[in-house]
Amino acid sequence: MLVQSIVSNGLAVGAIYALIGITYNVMFSASRVFSFTAGSVGMLGGVFGAIFIGQMGMPVIIGFLLTLAVGAILGVVIEFVTVRPVLKSLDQHLYVLSTLAAALMIQQLTAIYFSTDAVPFPRVIPFETAFFDQKFWLPILACIATIVGLEYLFRHTLIGRAFLAIAEDNYAARALGLPETRLRIASYALAGVIGVLAGFSAGQLMFASLSNGPLYNFYGFVPVALGGMGSNRGAVVGGLALGLFQQVANYFFGGVFSSVAVFVVFIIALLARPEGLAGAATARRV
Amino acid sequence: MRITRRKVLSGSAAAAATVATGIYKPALANTDPIQIGYLPAFTGPSSSTGIGIGRGTQLAVDEINAAGGIKGRKIELVMRDTQSEPTKAVNAAVELTRRHKVTAMWGPLNSGETAAAIGNIARDNVPMMHPCWVDVLIDVKKYPMAFRNAPSNQQIGGAANHYVVNVLKAKKVAVISDTSGYGTASLDAYVPMLKTMNGDVVYSGSVDANNPDLKPELLRMQSAGAEAIMPWSVNAGFLARIINTRAELNWDVPIVGQTTLGSGQTKALLAKPEYWEKVYPNNFRNVCYDAAGQFPPQSAEFVERLKKAKVEVSDTLLWWIACGYDGPRLIAEAIREAGTGAADIVSYWNTKVSSWKGIYGTITFTPDNHNGFLDEGVIMCQANSLKDGAFKLAPGYT
Repeated sequence: MLVQSIVSNGLAVGAIYALIGITYNVMFSASRVFSFTAGSVGMLGGVFGAIFIGQMGMPVIIGFLLTLAVGAILGVVIEFVTVRPVLKSLDQHLYVLSTLAAALMIQQLTAIYFSTDAVPFPRVIPFETAFFDQKFWLPILACIATIVGLEYLFRHTLIGRAFLAIAEDNYAARALGLPETRLRIASYALAGVIGVLAGFSAGQLMFASLSNGPLYNFYGFVPVALGGMGSNRGAVVGGLALGLFQQVANYFFGGVFSSVAVFVVFIIALLARPEGLAGAATARRV
Repeated sequence: MRITRRKVLSGSAAAAATVATGIYKPALANTDPIQIGYLPAFTGPSSSTGIGIGRGTQLAVDEINAAGGIKGRKIELVMRDTQSEPTKAVNAAVELTRRHKVTAMWGPLNSGETAAAIGNIARDNVPMMHPCWVDVLIDVKKYPMAFRNAPSNQQIGGAANHYVVNVLKAKKVAVISDTSGYGTASLDAYVPMLKTMNGDVVYSGSVDANNPDLKPELLRMQSAGAEAIMPWSVNAGFLARIINTRAELNWDVPIVGQTTLGSGQTKALLAKPEYWEKVYPNNFRNVCYDAAGQFPPQSAEFVERLKKAKVEVSDTLLWWIACGYDGPRLIAEAIREAGTGAADIVSYWNTKVSSWKGIYGTITFTPDNHNGFLDEGVIMCQANSLKDGAFKLAPGYT
């Protein structure tokens, strides 16, 4: 039972962290901006799922699609409000302030208009499984679907290649005539969709709760740093490893000490490989 | 006598001077309303408490005023919504004590806001009644004019510990909290208390309230042989996870602790409603019904009065309404018997309030103890018995 608990919870929580890590990455690739709104967007996935399906009584599929639509709109708003104004002065890192401010606003508005308490998230699939409940496999399924979808998008579609071109060198991409601004907006919409998908799929495990925002922000950042900035595969490996390690630490150290253990390992990993586990060391021009 | 213009003018001037200098004073009773400062949180995260207590407060004031007020003077509640924010509570308290010069204060009604505002109210020498549980909010040396008509956290923890050790006869106990200030402070306070009552604490620990998997913690408790779990948290998600995990482990150990265990938010987060069995939160003897579904006579009469006054109970808790009803009545009684002077009100509370029968509980104040609520008033109830804002007494009480 213990191993089952560690594996099921570890993989599920790890998949949520991985999805938030991918959200960070998709925003970063398109703009070189590290947007600290990723966790709050994830939190809203649970909140809007609970509102549409649980409170308004919509069919699950409609509620799910509407939640994704909200995520896409939110991503675009974040691009317009917090990213675009600071793009010209990236070296001053103003995006830290603007995106953190947006994240705080999202948290406050959720507290005012939704709830400060955790709210139940409805069952998404109308059947029970004795061994491996949907609250565990839904985040894993969402993570697999996302990584497969992104791989297909980036490798087999023209727009996906355009995304990669922008991520690789946006000046060169613009010189080739690629619509950088529109692609950046689309990237943020995509990031918003992935973020709310993380929160929606995690709803039954984590509840629809305001407090998930900072949690996702912190723990979603770890796989990005571990896996390498911009590497989605690295984020998935880092996220799943983090989730499993956290559950093992939860069992062996218990309580608050599991968080300490997680961050000790995180710091050691970064000291050993500052570029991340899947990242490549960048050559410095001298 | 001939009335000349000079005589009229000189007479008028003399009359005006007499009135202006106060030499002339008509023997009329003062009918100005008595202003009582009132600081509920009607909005924000603590508003559910504020709304519940507010219904009782309004009913008490309406009844006092309908009966003619206090010696012909109506009570006027000067209310400011603290919006659940301590800074707003401080500003509002200062406004009420300095600008409005209220006779007494009822509230703030939440501990966080009272902790922020109590110093200002004490400095302005205004008598204060509050219902907040945090122990340090009553201190006869620091706040000699502050009184509490509710239990302290010590009494809350003491009642739960008493129930576990003496009523359930659980020999081995697991105590868990979240990592919030309230959670860790409760753990630090209640575990030693439990040990002095010969409780064997086989597990104690604090866990992040957002941790989705509490199975390792409950497995530790189970392997240590725990016969009762005592969670201390106001986080409904954390408490629901403990209850859900207990059910997943097919473990029927009782869960005994804070009132939030019996809240609607906690119930909503349970995987199945039947998981609420054998969950015993704190509550208050006067406002719980017994196995036959009967309230104590005084509370039964109060519930009838609530119905007549069309006070909604089903969406709140009876003990909040009862607490709100008692607070203004204690203030009004002191003013009626001792006058509106701050020292007179405090003196009355210090010396004359003994076994005062409130709806919420029986109150006794002394000059050395402003914690008025009697220990016997704090009991445990059955979480799954909520009906019209009230709970059934937990097994073992009569």
